[in-house]
Amino acid sequence: MSNTPVASGSAKKRSRSDLPLAVLMIAPAFIGLAVFLLWPTIYGIGLSFTNFNLLTPPKFVGFNNYIRMIEDPMFWNAAWVTVYYVVVNIGVQTVLALGIAVLMHRLTQSMIVRSLILTPYLVSNVVAALVFFWILDNQLGIGNHILVSMGLERIPFLSQDATVIPTIALINVWRHVGYTALLIFAGLQTIPESAYEAAKVDGASEWQTFWRITVPLLRPILALVLIRTIIGSFQVFDTVAVTTAGGPVNSSRVLQLYIYNMAFGRFQFGYASALSVGLMVILVVITFLQYRLTRAGDTDLN
Amino acid sequence: MTAAAVSAHTVGSAKPFPIGKVLAWTFMGIIMVITIVPFYWMIRTALSSNAALYSGSSSLLPANFNVGSFARVFGIQTGEAAIAQGGSGQSIDFWRYLGNSLVVASLVTAGQVFFSACAAYAFSRLKWRGRDVVYSLFLGGLMVPAIFTFLPNFVLIKNLGLIDSLLGISLPTMLMTPFAVFFLRQFFMNVPVELEEAALLDGSSKIGNFFRLILPMSSAPIATLSVLTFIASWNDYFWPLMVSYSDNSRVLTVGLGVFKAQTPQTGPDWSGLMAATLIAAIPMLVLFALSAKRIVNSIGFSGIK
Amino acid sequence: MKSKIATLLALTTAGALLTSGCAPARTDDAGVIDYWLWDSAQQPGYQACADAFEAANPGLKVKITQFGWDDYWSKLTAGFIADQAPDVFTNHVGKYPQFVDLQVLVPLDDLQATQSINDSDYAPGLADLWKGQDGKRYGVPKDWDTVGYFYDEKVTDAAGITREQLLSMDWNPEDGGSFEKIIAHLTVDTAGVRGDEPGFNKNSVAVYGLASEGAGGENLGQTQWGAYTGTLGWSPLDKNPWGTRFNLDDPEFQKAMAWYYGLVDKGYMPSFEVFGRNSGSYQQVAQRKAVLGMNGSWMISTFATIPDAKLAVAPTPVGPSGQRSSPLNGLADSVTRFAEDKEAAGKWVAYMGSHECQMKIAEAGVVFPARPEATQRSVEVRREAGLDVSPFTVHVEEGTGFTLAVTTNAADISALTVPGFEAVFVGQQDVSSLTELNSQINRLLQLTQ
Repeated sequence: MSNTPVASGSAKKRSRSDLPLAVLMIAPAFIGLAVFLLWPTIYGIGLSFTNFNLLTPPKFVGFNNYIRMIEDPMFWNAAWVTVYYVVVNIGVQTVLALGIAVLMHRLTQSMIVRSLILTPYLVSNVVAALVFFWILDNQLGIGNHILVSMGLERIPFLSQDATVIPTIALINVWRHVGYTALLIFAGLQTIPESAYEAAKVDGASEWQTFWRITVPLLRPILALVLIRTIIGSFQVFDTVAVTTAGGPVNSSRVLQLYIYNMAFGRFQFGYASALSVGLMVILVVITFLQYRLTRAGDTDLN
Repeated sequence: MTAAAVSAHTVGSAKPFPIGKVLAWTFMGIIMVITIVPFYWMIRTALSSNAALYSGSSSLLPANFNVGSFARVFGIQTGEAAIAQGGSGQSIDFWRYLGNSLVVASLVTAGQVFFSACAAYAFSRLKWRGRDVVYSLFLGGLMVPAIFTFLPNFVLIKNLGLIDSLLGISLPTMLMTPFAVFFLRQFFMNVPVELEEAALLDGSSKIGNFFRLILPMSSAPIATLSVLTFIASWNDYFWPLMVSYSDNSRVLTVGLGVFKAQTPQTGPDWSGLMAATLIAAIPMLVLFALSAKRIVNSIGFSGIK
Repeated sequence: MKSKIATLLALTTAGALLTSGCAPARTDDAGVIDYWLWDSAQQPGYQACADAFEAANPGLKVKITQFGWDDYWSKLTAGFIADQAPDVFTNHVGKYPQFVDLQVLVPLDDLQATQSINDSDYAPGLADLWKGQDGKRYGVPKDWDTVGYFYDEKVTDAAGITREQLLSMDWNPEDGGSFEKIIAHLTVDTAGVRGDEPGFNKNSVAVYGLASEGAGGENLGQTQWGAYTGTLGWSPLDKNPWGTRFNLDDPEFQKAMAWYYGLVDKGYMPSFEVFGRNSGSYQQVAQRKAVLGMNGSWMISTFATIPDAKLAVAPTPVGPSGQRSSPLNGLADSVTRFAEDKEAAGKWVAYMGSHECQMKIAEAGVVFPARPEATQRSVEVRREAGLDVSPFTVHVEEGTGFTLAVTTNAADISALTVPGFEAVFVGQQDVSSLTELNSQINRLLQLTQ
């Protein structure tokens, strides 16, 4: 990305500023930015210092919400559950997507394969959640019918704490893996064929080629894809809200669900805002760390 | 990723054994099956009767074939008939939700892409003081996670009196997203300056250049952005869930949630629920079937730029 | 091609702007009373009332909307926040105090149609439940309910359990009394061995003696364990309504809870995992996966739909107090401050509590209406249909019903009790963890008094 403005020769000739036109063209987007992004950010931070409940006037409560957050075991539980979800979701998804992308690149360039793999992405999380909610139903779902017919025990996928988060994570892998694979696939296509030919000449096996050529050259793309998917993954809500609503006990009560219930079920908008700040801090820290670790800005291609 | 690696190995070398290739295709085949089977199961369940489903039928074909579920979803079955077939007897109007989703997604896509393009043009091709400062504000906006703006935006939309309206759902993303501005600016910068200068010499105005030169030359990235925005908007759940309260503004995703929540005391109306999910999915699947190539390429496109 | 796209884009935008511009921001049309309830089975009965009400009050219309229990409350609270609440809604004793605190309910004493509601028209105690700490009335009683066991007589006959045995069950927290012996006998493993026979495999149960209704954290065991703990002379609160201390730390109570959740380990009741959230006692009995299904009287008509069954109801067992016990709950209709025409909303509320509508509800045969004469009629309707519902009414006649806990901050309390009891049910925590839960709740109540 380049932030240097493009010097326009003709503009120099005219030597007049484009300010009036620029203001006109930026106005709608700028209003959008200021009203629905920048101001809410400031306002949200402000709300987190109040006991606002939306029905009676807010009162300033200082750092009480933040002290409560640090002492709130449910918050830490939700944070932990969310991290667990992200690790399973992103881990499985990235590995699978990488595999699929490499196969789409080296095995078949078929458009049909690429289209099919993307199909789940076209339906919403809610649809994906409902379909698997039905498939994995403990008594009636086909998933357990198959297990039983294979002589195995039924697995209460969404109703026991050991399996609930991995199950939800995998449902979302189902929906997103094709999308991620296509992003990686696009990255693979930017790797010059000459790099592979050189490796072939050197007598490298495909396995070696994968680790010595594909992975290093893919790293910048992979890093960007990871940042995007991880940030999305942290905001998991739809699937949990539709299938388990946080249960059993609190084993799938992810942060965004906790925040939603706090605001809309328990009228604690102030505390919910503080929780949102907490989630934002987590996201910013992770983005920053990841950016540093993977040096997403660099590209080995140059 | 051993399967992938092994396969790649075989393809690349002089294929001594087809085993690697067989394994790779098997892996790909399994992925395809897992991808597609849930869709089939949706159809199969929607065409089954609840009574048959509850008696534990695991037939691979529709159990006790009937289309009552679709009648329930479109609200053309009487309450009594619906209850008798394991529905809630609630009126639910999926035509309306379909229309609402279409309006919201179109409004968001058209508005976001157009206004973002305007801004991107001003950031890439116009010369004015303070440009970099304002642009960095937009880049800063890229860092704010959506979750953080939901609650304050809800208060805002409420104060604007737009709760439970389609405009209320659309507004926050209708004017821009930082990503859209950033994305389009990158492309506008690549349009050769000489073309624009030549047009200016021919008497064209800057605004004329935007419409006649920049937009047409960037039709591919604009199409990409439109497709991605449309998909995202169509599938959004969290924000519409907060804003919509009645059929006036209920979009498909929220309608589905309501349909599920109307679970009768006799247990979920699985057949109706799957019919509803199918209806929610079909428009996108049709769109996809018509332009799979464009969409698939679009997604790759958005990734590398 | 490009111009086509541009035209299309312009058209959709224009169309979209028009449609959204025209969409009314408020759902309230003049003269339409928006009414919410959560029980799908009761909707036809109230629809009949609404039709009669509309005929008697030209210009007024009632629009009934139903949501499932969980979604009902989240939609309602969200509706209060967003000014999108219904005009009138079915209220629950466990929930309304918080709504009073949030100032979203209209005191019915202020409305013409409801100011002259007469407490004595309703079953004893029902009207009092709906008077807030300020002494004002926030709901007009519409029905009452108690719990009992639904079962298919064909199944119990086949197991050799007689109706007399089921009518005279006793219970204690040590060995569960004759009640536990009966559910043990009704439990059958996949090899056909009964729960009270040698060689019973509790890990492979085909039919459970007692259906599971979850952990019971939300309404403190209303359809789970409240009927047992009620016979210990235990009550959840120091005083009801408006108690300020919970009694979940009582060792006797915890012993009873250990017994109840212990039924899972014995194999007589399914664990949480077996049925998950999709299935309660109705589904388990309907699918012949369980024999005795404890549930509330509001489920009578639902259970009656089970095909090929000879439905019967057994009363809750006699416990250490020498009496039976059952949670007794009464629902009422409330008017919200968001109602545009509050007097009209009050009229509809008053009508639902009137003799006329209550008799229609009695005929619908789903719940017991709050007026004694309508309750009488409801019992007759059921008897004509071949079902003896005295196991429910006995608690009113003998005064063995106890009302559900009424406190402030219900949403915060159930945010603690729901996962708290569930943790014990699934075996994550010991019953002694209820002591910590109790002190959390009490601290919360203390902080907010």
